[in-house]
Amino acid sequence: MQLLERVRKTEFLGREFLLWLWFKSETEDGIFDLGDKGKAELWLGGKITLQSENERGVETITCTGEALSMKEARFALAEEKEIRQATVKLAIGDNQWSFVLDSTWMNFRSFKAPRVMNDGEEDPDGLFYEKAFLIEEAISAMDQIYSSFMKRRLSPDWATEDRRTIGQWIRQGRDGD
Amino acid sequence: MGLMHGSAGFTRYMAERTLPQNFKEGLSENIARYAFRDLDDKSIDERSAGWVNILDMFDNRFAGIEFLKEPYIAMSLRLDERKIPPTALKQYCREAEKTIKEEEHLEFLPKSRRADIKESVRLRLLKRAIPVARTYDMIWNTATGLVVFGSTSARVCDEFMERFLRTFNLQLQAICPYTLGELHLGQEGASPHLLDGLSPSRFLEDQ
Repeated sequence: MQLLERVRKTEFLGREFLLWLWFKSETEDGIFDLGDKGKAELWLGGKITLQSENERGVETITCTGEALSMKEARFALAEEKEIRQATVKLAIGDNQWSFVLDSTWMNFRSFKAPRVMNDGEEDPDGLFYEKAFLIEEAISAMDQIYSSFMKRRLSPDWATEDRRTIGQWIRQGRDGD
Repeated sequence: MGLMHGSAGFTRYMAERTLPQNFKEGLSENIARYAFRDLDDKSIDERSAGWVNILDMFDNRFAGIEFLKEPYIAMSLRLDERKIPPTALKQYCREAEKTIKEEEHLEFLPKSRRADIKESVRLRLLKRAIPVARTYDMIWNTATGLVVFGSTSARVCDEFMERFLRTFNLQLQAICPYTLGELHLGQEGASPHLLDGLSPSRFLEDQ
């Protein structure tokens, strides 16, 4: 298989990753182990976009709000819509980031890093290093969390455990539990 | 808003991690070659693109090694575009057509003549249009190969990848779920072909 074909055929992994993040944040407090970097807390809050493609064409639903346990978005999942992008809040120690993660290219949109003390007037390079560090810290954390997802996704337990429990959680959303 | 100020969106790429030993030789010259050039007031160029200092969008000289912030290479891609508002173009065309019809005592202008008039008006207005400048920051960690580029627009990202290739002679690989999966499997010492066997999960199928 050529690289482009592989990329196209595995696009669903980004959508499943966002679903897994939502599921973990709702059911297991969204705490992720980052190894020697400690722990990260992650939750979805803000805007979430879901989409389905069927014989009627492409249907998109966007829900906005802090409580992503919101019925409409959960109901859309039960209608077999998939998450295309979601606002992610990430906290590591005292630092908190907010960004919209895109499922296709794993782009970060509307990226907001923690405020830095250096205003760049006296030490512009210092500002650069501080900003670069905060961007890389968020990327590194998300890559590690994606790695944890891939580990589960490639394990035999995915089909027997994770897929079943996520399926149950989706159904609960439809039933309004 | 760029990566250095306020909120921004960004796309990630991977560049070659192992760079040639002499990679930094001639780097300043290469960057200066592809640096931003102002649109000349007399020219009819509609756009100009090139590198500028990440901390100062008006600095395109690259006289020193201000782009080198070990282990990073950091610059901004500046894109200037001249645009004529469509309504202004329509108005000036109508006026030009009216003048020509009066001067040449014509009642009707053929389609080809009207197209010529439109092009000449467009070129005249282009010289008067003030370019709109935009910058997109790039941070390249040469130790890890991670490249962060401050745009998620496909058009701007394509332009960036092409300019990066011309400047550094390095092809960038866009990050996506597949390439991230490959990186994960590489760290685990497993074959990337494991990803080929995956298919979408049917969460709502009867279990």
